[in-house]
This record gives sequence, structure tokens and C-alpha cells, in this order.
Amino acid sequence: MNLQLEKLMKIYNGNTVLDDISIEVKDFQVLALIGASGSGKSTLLRLIAGLEEYQGGNILVNDSAVDEDNIDDYRKKVGFVFQDHNLFNHLSVIENILLVLEKVHKKKREDVLPMVQELLRQFDLAEHQMKLPHQLSGGQSQRVSIVRALAIQPELILLDEPTSSLDPILTYEVLTAVKKLADQKKDFIIVTHEIGFAKNIADYIIFMQDGKIIEHGTNNILQYPKTKELRSFLSKVLTFQDEDIKAG
Amino acid sequence: MKKTSSFIAALALYFAVFYYVAVTAIGKPLDFSVYFEYSKVIWDGWIQTIAISVMSVLFALVVGLILYLMNESKYSVLKYLAEIHKTIIFGTPLLVIAIVSYYYVGFAFGIDSKFWIGVITLSLYIGAYIADIYKGAIESIHHNQWQAAKMFGFNRYQTYRYIIFPQVVMSILPPLAGQFALTIKGSALLSYMATSEFLNSVNTVMAVSFAYPEGFVILAVGYLIITIPIIRLIRHLEDRLNYKV
Repeated sequence: MNLQLEKLMKIYNGNTVLDDISIEVKDFQVLALIGASGSGKSTLLRLIAGLEEYQGGNILVNDSAVDEDNIDDYRKKVGFVFQDHNLFNHLSVIENILLVLEKVHKKKREDVLPMVQELLRQFDLAEHQMKLPHQLSGGQSQRVSIVRALAIQPELILLDEPTSSLDPILTYEVLTAVKKLADQKKDFIIVTHEIGFAKNIADYIIFMQDGKIIEHGTNNILQYPKTKELRSFLSKVLTFQDEDIKAG
Repeated sequence: MKKTSSFIAALALYFAVFYYVAVTAIGKPLDFSVYFEYSKVIWDGWIQTIAISVMSVLFALVVGLILYLMNESKYSVLKYLAEIHKTIIFGTPLLVIAIVSYYYVGFAFGIDSKFWIGVITLSLYIGAYIADIYKGAIESIHHNQWQAAKMFGFNRYQTYRYIIFPQVVMSILPPLAGQFALTIKGSALLSYMATSEFLNSVNTVMAVSFAYPEGFVILAVGYLIITIPIIRLIRHLEDRLNYKV
């Protein structure tokens, strides 16, 4: 998978959220966007998803521009896992997945049902398939969201902080599911605060601060950061993780 | 058991007040015999009230949807048209609108049927309120539902049809049932345009028999027979909705 950003600008309510971002990442499978809250990483992911408009520059995914002309076709090829899972509240787990396949991808229910049920089984959701979203735990909801994104057989999956609202146990549950995506050789971009996890699964890391890309490279940058900003960020994150462990 | 006896006690107390008023103000026993003679006219009027109300609410559902869509339109002319209509409706008594409709609007458009003028008037009136019910219900749908629909490639029609409306239906049922009850009561004002609905039918009998107190009792009971089940339905729907939330 290739991603190219050219002089990307995003201005929201007069504030520059993404400031002239340019980068080219070739042949990645798992790309992790890391940085403090407000650094612009989620905004960048939403721009790559075609969910928001931007004020300047270009986004190219696999050498095709993401713009108004091809956005409908593009969205059919991209799966998205939202921070708050965003499942359709009135539909059961299985209907959440089938609705997208039937109505948007024009698939016949009987043709896709075995594949959907197999995915639910793989992600330990088979017994929950008839439940409504409010009957699921946060971890289960997020796993359904992952299956929904996966079921459309996308070229690329985008995950926006999939564990941000979960407790440590549920976080582990969801990260295991994300790891499964990596093991299945799916291409995805993940925004995450889980630095250890990013280090384990990502083959490319982008570190952002104040709407700019400060440092990027293979996951080695997490071990040997070059910039003082990434060093400082990592030292804070790791310090808190250490304190958590001591407090626990 | 305790609830039932409390309810019966409250009901008895309420009717005791009515009985006292009836005895002191009327001073003679009520005699409904004349109303039995005209029972066919009263029955027809009662059915007419239900028919007008049902038709009006059905049309008002469509009028409300059109007004809502006009409000959400990117064309400002449509937005303003909907806004002007709602402002006039919210700021004018139904009685005034009913009279204007009957004497002028119906005449101008060559509509002679009092029934249909009544239905159109009530639909346009109730429709303005229903538009706001739709608006409130749709706005209460969390933005993440719209976002997920957009991300997965649903078009505007599909988003409303498969994601938004199914979620809105349950929450608009109680206020819609409330509007239906208001429509039934509002239909009484159509008696001013001599529509042969319930109030007008009973009025006619009162005018010939001078049995006014009995007429008012029949009116109250006649309307309550329709509205009490609706009120019960609203409570039931609200309870179900609260339980779900």
C-alpha cells in the first residue's frame, strides 16, 4: 500500500489543524499515526478517509487521488473503524454488517452470509450476532466495528483510536483483534496511543505534533528517536505507563 | 391493588365535583331521551370527527415531511416558504384559520366539500407542528450515525431510509399520538364552518331540544371515548421508549 500526501492543509474555524503536510510512504502494510491529543493525527486519518474536506494539497492512496470526483468509489474500497465504534443503533450485530454489503455493495444476502458468519466466528462474536449494539460491551462493539470494516473486503482499513474509550481488559481484547488484521496481511492505518502495540505491529510510524509531521520512519524510530519532540513524547508516555504499573 | 383503589377514589372525587355542579346549576335530573331519537345523527357526526381526524393526521404526516425537507433544503426560497407557513400557523388560532379557509381559501380554489376543506385546513395546521417533531427527532440522532453512513458509502436517500428513519420512528410515535389527540379536539372548531362533525351534530340536537346539559355530557363522553385510548397509547409508548433508553 502507498500513501502520498502533498502540501496538505486543513483549516477549521480559522485554526490550522494540519499545516502543509507532505510525505510519501511506499509499500507499507501497517502504518501507525502517533502523537499527543490535538496533534492532528485523527484529522489526518479522517482526511485520508474522505470524511472531511481540506483546504489545500493532495492525498493519493495507491497513486489515486482522494477527491470529490472518485469519493463514492473510494469509500467502497476503504473500511473505517471509529473511535466510538459508530454501529447503527437499531440493527443487530449481523444486520449492521449485512446492511452495508446489501445496500451499498449490492451483494445478495445469501451470497455474503457465510463469509460474514465466518468473520464473526473468527472475532469471537458468533454468539452475539443477534444482539443490538447497546447489549454489547465496549470491546465487543469495537470488534463488530472491525468486522464491519473487514466484511466489505477493503483495500485499506483505517482505525481511529479504536481503544481510546476502553478499559485495559477491553483494550487488550480489541488490540488482539487488530493484531489479527495484521496477521491476515490486511493493509491498515491506525491512530493509536498504544505505543508498545504500534511498535509491535506497525512497519511504518508517523509522529505528529501541532498539525505537523515531526518524525517518521520504520518502527525503529520508537527505539531510537531522532527529534527531541518524539523523545519527549515517548518519555512522557513511558513514564506514565511505568507509574501505572507501579500504582497497580 | 392499592393503585386501583386510589384510582377509583380519585375518579369518584372528580365526579363528585361534577355532580355537585350539575345538581346546583341544573337543578333537575338529566334526560337523554331526545338524544336517543337523534342517535343516528350524533353517531354519524362522531364517525365524521374520527374520519376527519384520521385523514388530517395522515395528510399532516406528509405535509410535515414536506415542510421538514423544505427546511433542510439548500434552496433558501423553500426554506423561507416553510418558515413563513410555520410562523403563521404557530401564531394564529385554529379557529381563525378554519374560518378563513372555509369562507375564502376553499372558495378561491373552488373546493365545495366542507369535509375536504376541514381535512386540508387541519392537515396544514397540524403538519407545521409535525414538521418540528420530525426535526427534533432527526436532530436527536447522534452525528456518529450520519458519519458511519457517509463513510460506508450510503447516499442521502439510503441514509434516511435505512439508518435515520428507522431510529426516529419509535421516538416520534408519542408526540404524533399527542398530535392526533389535538387534531380530534381541533376538529371541533370545524363546526364553525358547519361541517357535520360531532360537535355540530350535537349542537343541532341541542338547538331543537334545548337539552343543553345532556348535550355537553354526550360531547364530553364522545370525545373522551376517542382520546382516552390515545392518551393511554402515548403513555405506553413513552414507557417503552424510556425503558429502551
